[in-house]
Amino acid sequence: MTAVEPPILLDQLTLSYGPHRVLDALSLAVAAGSITALLGGNGAGKSTTLSVLLGFARGDAGRAAVCGIDPGTDPDGARRRIAYLPENVALYEHLTAVENADYLLALSGQRQPRGAITDALAAAGLQERAWHQRLDGFSKGMRQKVAIAVALLRAVPVLLLDEPTSGLDPRATADFNALVLQVRDRGTAVLMVTHDLLSAADVADRIAFLEAGRVRHEVLAEGPDRFDVRALHARFQAGEAQAAA
Amino acid sequence: MKVVRLIARDELRLMLRNRVAMIAFALLVLLTLVAVASSWSHQRGMAELRARHAQAAEDAFHAQPDRHPHRVVHYGHFIFRPLGPLAAFDPGVDVFTGNSMFLEGHRQNTANFGDVRQSSLLVRFGQLTPAFVLQVVAPLLLVFLGYGALARETERGTMRLLMLQGVTRRQIVAGKLLALATVAILAALPALLGFALIAGQPGALALPMLVIALGYCVYLALWVVLILLVSALVRRSRDALLSLVALWAIAVVLLPRVAPDVASAAVPLQNRLQTDVAIARDLRRMGDSHNPDDPHFAKFKHAVLARYGVTRVEDLPVNYKGLLGVEGERLTTALFDRYAGQSYAAQARQNAIVETAAVLSPAIAIRSLSMAAAGTDFAGHRRFLEQAEAYRYALVQRLNAMQAEKVRYSDDTAEDAGADRRKRVSAANWQAMPDFTFVAPSGTALAKAALPGLAVLLAWLAVVGLLLALATRRLGAFR
Repeated sequence: MTAVEPPILLDQLTLSYGPHRVLDALSLAVAAGSITALLGGNGAGKSTTLSVLLGFARGDAGRAAVCGIDPGTDPDGARRRIAYLPENVALYEHLTAVENADYLLALSGQRQPRGAITDALAAAGLQERAWHQRLDGFSKGMRQKVAIAVALLRAVPVLLLDEPTSGLDPRATADFNALVLQVRDRGTAVLMVTHDLLSAADVADRIAFLEAGRVRHEVLAEGPDRFDVRALHARFQAGEAQAAA
Repeated sequence: MKVVRLIARDELRLMLRNRVAMIAFALLVLLTLVAVASSWSHQRGMAELRARHAQAAEDAFHAQPDRHPHRVVHYGHFIFRPLGPLAAFDPGVDVFTGNSMFLEGHRQNTANFGDVRQSSLLVRFGQLTPAFVLQVVAPLLLVFLGYGALARETERGTMRLLMLQGVTRRQIVAGKLLALATVAILAALPALLGFALIAGQPGALALPMLVIALGYCVYLALWVVLILLVSALVRRSRDALLSLVALWAIAVVLLPRVAPDVASAAVPLQNRLQTDVAIARDLRRMGDSHNPDDPHFAKFKHAVLARYGVTRVEDLPVNYKGLLGVEGERLTTALFDRYAGQSYAAQARQNAIVETAAVLSPAIAIRSLSMAAAGTDFAGHRRFLEQAEAYRYALVQRLNAMQAEKVRYSDDTAEDAGADRRKRVSAANWQAMPDFTFVAPSGTALAKAALPGLAVLLAWLAVVGLLLALATRRLGAFR
């Protein structure tokens, strides 16, 4: 990684599945300590973008890098620098929240004392009585808190979120967004793929609109070009309608 | 290695927290312990019973009074096949083939009194032995404990979670292998306890025991790898379970039962009645020693007279009737040997067909290996039959020779009041007869006989291992 290269970098990335071009010269960079929300309709290429960064898919042309590591050639190296929260957080049902965190941290070679784990669970907003319960009765929000706690403990430079607020009630969404901001403030580069414009507008420093595999439009939360949620919403709806048509 | 151990530990923790899995495992351990105890007790009981009967038969034979040697030929003699210590682990075909034989002149009898013929249908279904538990029940337990090892991770999305911690596909598969192999070792422990009991017995042979232990290790390792292969290939645990249960049913239950039927159809064996009729027909053709015009025996008589330089059988220095007995037994034994040889050859071809089916079913391979090393396979049974026949032939010919040398021809053909007494020879002659002693094969011979089964199992393990290595490469491949 060069001194100026951001933790998340996509440069002219192109990827096709057969004749179907999913990513079309996609360029995107997420700096440390910032949140970028990637919005787009179904089939715009959002999930594929995450797959490339996670090393589960490989571009045909262009470049992808996580902290300077190409996830296509060194997926394990890239993954060690990423915390990833899918839409439905997958954790181990037969383990408690503490055991889950302990197991995942041990696997990643970053084992922490029990006290640090419970502190992180508390910081993630998981109630104390749930710490030692098995996850088979946990809601989506509670699972996310466990996953965020693991991300906090792993102190990785990159956090990828895939539709994190889908299915959450407004209160849970607000709690989650607060956690994401907390992670960002620790210097983590956050890329959030979402349909939820309001949630994105709440936390993102930048919003990129993805269409047919390339970024068509970008807006910032701060500065002279700061976005207006109403205008974005109208634009997003129009884009969705166009995509649907 | 640390990551592999962590994954294995978590897999074992999942099993420990699964009540159904724990009950199933406890049942297997219990079943194996019961199998070890019952087989051990049964084998010891049978060995003692056979030794007692063998002694009683010897005593009865030796206790015969002074009598004509040919009456002793027809009095006959019971012999028993002694059980080797490894029969407690795998009794093999012993329960079906019979373990005792009645020896008499002019006939080759088959073995009798197999356990199956004297027991309920349950024995036919499958005797509860340590070998049965390891061959049939242990793989099923491993299937139920391991089917979801990889498929569950794929299905629930935790495969990706593992990879996101920087864990490689190989580490995941190695961890699951380690966990399931640990279960397999624990499942085999009670059977190994039985092995330890056997090892302390007189006659226990180290080399075949080593081959058996190695064979079962390879067999269970093969199931561990096969279970993970299927679990890696499918995306849903339910599909993995269904596939593996189907594989188990075909490989362990169906093929080992269908293969002998196919072999019987391909190489039909004559039944007892057909053989008896054919032998009787051949015996008639062979000649009649009582008919002075019978060409074979006329020629035989001429040769004997010429050898002793006399013109009448009455002038021979030996009893001609005894010589006739020797010649008759030689002829009938050659005929019986020919039929036995044909039957052995047909059974060997049938066994070869069954053993070829081991390419489709590792259960057949381990069964062959286990029985061969324990000395309880068809070859072991044949060994007993051949030794018994050799003993019978020697015994009968010794009695015929005794008639020729110790009973005068004139007395043998006399019919006066005192003739019967003059025909008798001393009881000391029977007491001097050697007893039947079964010569067990050497440990090297038993181990060598088990090697083809071991080779098939190793080939299976290599192929399945290679397929797992290939499946590992695409494990958790997502679009």
